[in-house]
Order: sequence, then C-alpha cells, then structure tokens
Amino acid sequence: MRYIACHVFLLCVTYLSAQSSEFFINFQPTFEGEVVVYNEENRLEKDGDIQIETLKFYISNIELFNGDQLVFSEKDSYHLLDIESPESFSLDLNTPPKLSFTSIKFDVGVDSLTNVSGAFGGDLDPTNGMYWTWQSGYINFKLEGVATDCPARHNRFVYHIGGYEAPHRPLQTIELGIETDTEIAIEISMDKIFETINVAEQYHIMRPGEEALAFSKLFTSIFSISK
Amino acid sequence: MRIGITVLSIISFVLSVAFITDYYKLEYAEYFPEPLYNFEKNPLTTEKVTLGQALFYDPILSEDNTISCSSCHSPYNAFAHTDHDLSHGIRDSIGTRNAPALFNLAWHESFMWDGAINHLDMQSLAPISHPGEMGETIKNVVEKLQYKAIYPPLFLKAFGDSTVTGEHVLKALAQFQLTLVSDGAKYDAVKRGEVTFSPQEANGYALFQKHCNSCHTEPLFTNGQFANNGLPVDTTLNDYGRWIITKKSEDSLLFKVPTLRNLSYTFPYMHDGRFRKIRHVLNHYTEGIHLTSTTAKQLKENLELTSNEKTDLVAFLLTLDDKNFVFDQKHQYPKAILN
Repeated sequence: MRYIACHVFLLCVTYLSAQSSEFFINFQPTFEGEVVVYNEENRLEKDGDIQIETLKFYISNIELFNGDQLVFSEKDSYHLLDIESPESFSLDLNTPPKLSFTSIKFDVGVDSLTNVSGAFGGDLDPTNGMYWTWQSGYINFKLEGVATDCPARHNRFVYHIGGYEAPHRPLQTIELGIETDTEIAIEISMDKIFETINVAEQYHIMRPGEEALAFSKLFTSIFSISK
Repeated sequence: MRIGITVLSIISFVLSVAFITDYYKLEYAEYFPEPLYNFEKNPLTTEKVTLGQALFYDPILSEDNTISCSSCHSPYNAFAHTDHDLSHGIRDSIGTRNAPALFNLAWHESFMWDGAINHLDMQSLAPISHPGEMGETIKNVVEKLQYKAIYPPLFLKAFGDSTVTGEHVLKALAQFQLTLVSDGAKYDAVKRGEVTFSPQEANGYALFQKHCNSCHTEPLFTNGQFANNGLPVDTTLNDYGRWIITKKSEDSLLFKVPTLRNLSYTFPYMHDGRFRKIRHVLNHYTEGIHLTSTTAKQLKENLELTSNEKTDLVAFLLTLDDKNFVFDQKHQYPKAILN
C-alpha cells in the first residue's frame, strides 16, 4: 500500500514539474547607472549626496502579451518589493509551458477596488507598513532617505505615494517589450527620480493629491529592461 | 498542476470544515435596509466574533497596554463615551473629537466624523495608530497577541491558523462591531405594532419628520452623508471636518451626520461634544445656526419650534433609546476569556 502511495506521489511530482514552467523577473534598483544593493549601513548610496534608506513599492496585476494578445495574467498578483528583503525583488511567475510572449505589463501600486474592499493578508497585510492609518488607502510607493540638499529636519526626505480616488489616482501601468521567455531583469532608475524631483524644494509627500499624482508619473520612465 | 490544485482544495475544504462551522446570523429589524457591509468577503462566525470581542476589550491594543477600544466606546454608553467631550488616549492625551457611538455599523459606507475611513475592516487601524489614542502599530499588536497565551488558540479557532496577522486582527474586530445592532427601542416596538406612541411622542414624531428626517433619516436616523449643520468653528480645535480629507472647499465644515438612536446614553453631542443636553442641540437649530457657504440647505434659516414643541420632540427622541441593546450581556466585557 505504502509502495503504491509512494508511486502515486512520485507520479504527481513528475506531472507537476512537467506541467509548470517558470518565468523570473528580477527588479534591480540602479543609482548613478549602477545596480545598487542594500548595504550593512542599511542604505542605498552612491556618492553620498543622496542616501536611500527605504524603498518599498507594490508591483501588481502582472500580464504577459504576445503582440496584442494577452497570454498570461497572474492570479492574486500583488507583490511588495522592499529593499530590506532583497529576495522580494525576484518574482517567479508560474507560466504555462512553451508560452511565447513579447511584452510585459504591470501596475506600480494597488488598484482602487482593492483599496475599498477591506482587509487583506500576505503582501497586502497592513502590518507591512504600506497602508495609511489616518485615512484609508494603500501607499503604492515609499521612498525615504537623507540628502545633503534637503532642508527638512535631519535632511530627511519622505515620499509616500498613494491614493485611489479620482482625480488623484497615482496607479501607473508600465509596459515593456521583452525578448526572452525565461528570465528578465527590470532596472529601476533612482537617478531618473532625482533628476526630476528636487529634494531641496520638494521633500515631503505623504498624502494623496496633485503632488503624489505628479510624482507617480515618473514611474512610467524609471522602469526599463536591463540589457 | 490541476491535480495539485485539487489536492490543495480538498485539504483546505477539510480544514475549513474542521475549524469554521458556526456561522453567526446577524439579526436586524425587517424594516432596516440591506446592509452595506460585504459579508461574503468576511462571513460572520461565532468564533471570529468572540475573538473580535476579546480584542475590543483588551488594552493590549495600545502602546502601554492601558487603553482598549471600550475605554472610549463603552457598552453602557451605547459604545460612545458619556461625559467626555473629546476622546481620551494613552498617558491622558486628549483628542480633537467626540468618540462616536458604535452600532448599526453594517449600514455605513464610511467611518469617522470626516469619513476618512472607507471600510469597517480598516477602521481600527486609525485609533490603534493615532499617537493621542492608542499610540501603537498594527505590527506590534500582532507580535504582542502572538505571545499572549490566550490568543493563538482563539485565532486558530476563528481562522484555522494560530499565526496572528494584521488581516485577521482587523477582520475579527470588524466582526464583533458588526454584531452591535440597535433595533430594540420603543420606536422599533411601535414600528412592529407592539405599542403606540403617547400623544406627546406622536407630536414629536410629526415634528421630527418635518424638520429632521431629511438628514437623520429613519430607520437608522442618519443618511450616512456629510453636512455642515451651522456650528461655528471652535477656535481651540480649528476642525474643518471633511475638508481635511478631500481638500475641497465645498467640504469645509462638513461632518458625518450621526444617528439619533440612543441619545440618552451618548451625550455630549456634536463632533466636538460641545452640547451636553438634547435641549441645547435643539436650541442650536432654532437660534444658533452660523451661516457659511457650506451650511446645509435645510438650515439656511433657523428652525421654528416653540418651547412646547421642543419638549415634544425630545419626548420622541427618547423613544430611540434602546435599553435592550445597551444592557445586552452578550456585547459586554468577555469575562470568560479576558478574566
């Protein structure tokens, strides 16, 4: 009996491994054109003028397209990426075998429906520090750190980008062409953020509104496929 | 893949049958509208309600373990805080608003005086995190609960998982609050044809329907909307209500219309608790309206009520007191669990 059960189990495992395929996405924050990693001092830094201490954001609603045709959409597709947990920057999509695709689409942030539908667990659990408490709504993108030019207390800048109500919905959809079907690296350029956002003038965004919406428009240019 | 999913769903079905069996039927008056809360996403069970009740009464939710939800939402005050104009928090901090009464919450689509919260599940995060209320973080709450012996088994019974999560804490708290239904006042007995109003109450009811019902709409006695009811700004607080959330000028000085049920238990009144007596509230509507560009259109002129009419109106409002609800043992401190 045990022998048969063992065989059934092995068959299952073989079947499962034959049926599922994998597609890996590695997100890589870059600063001054180089991939940066979270170091022991708990910061991302390059030349010392700007140090990033917190970088946390949601990637959601991941879809793969072949030409114009949608060929894969991930179920319960909500991923919290946090530089304090480098492994969160690698996503593993369980795609069907032999799937061909030419582009990927995803959102940066959490959709409006989820924002008004109560409590969720996992990456959406409010214990992750990505849910506002004084008013409802997820923070889509959190960036905090210290900049020499920042006139705020202790030179700290704080950008909490979120909101789900029109006209200030900062959820942005990113679409990127891809050439491989096994693994891609997506660069997130911190430089592009600080080229546009001047930390000397704009250093606190902590509520939904015009400023958060304007900031979120940067997302469409900071993501690119690493060559 | 498909076999894997089938096996998984059989396992989860067996687990769910083993742990979640006792659905809690929410009862409410047949003349109440359909609840707005989505029970399909968070179906009430006795185990979850029990857990939520323990959490509601446990000061472990606050940073220094001194303040529970019930500190400002006492069952004997219809889950408001009688006598205190503004809410209290840890280390004797005083807030900026009057703690609202908690009942019939399944019929609300927004919460707080300014509607800052869009879902009952997420409401508890605000008092837990506010430095002047509980001054804690949901993350710490989860850790503290995990290490308090009574909780892992309660979470296991309620959710089939003894690991405490933010989602489960919030859903359990929402479940207990959803069971706080007030539909047992004299008004309700009249609606059900069991008793009749006295002539004075009946006259008060007619006056209510003429002057108050457009905002304090029957049978919940609130329309759930926001309005500027003509209160001059208290310059010690400078609270502009809904405007703080929307930043739209038309929302300046708008506050959520509160229910009129259980007024005897929930004084003082208004978002800042400025009026101690129902009579003071009526006097405000007859002679105290402060006009601004956002004043409710129904209040552009003072209401006209004689002194006798006010007395009759108060007599009617007192028929909205629900003793059965306020003294119902089942909503009170869960001695068996918390000691």
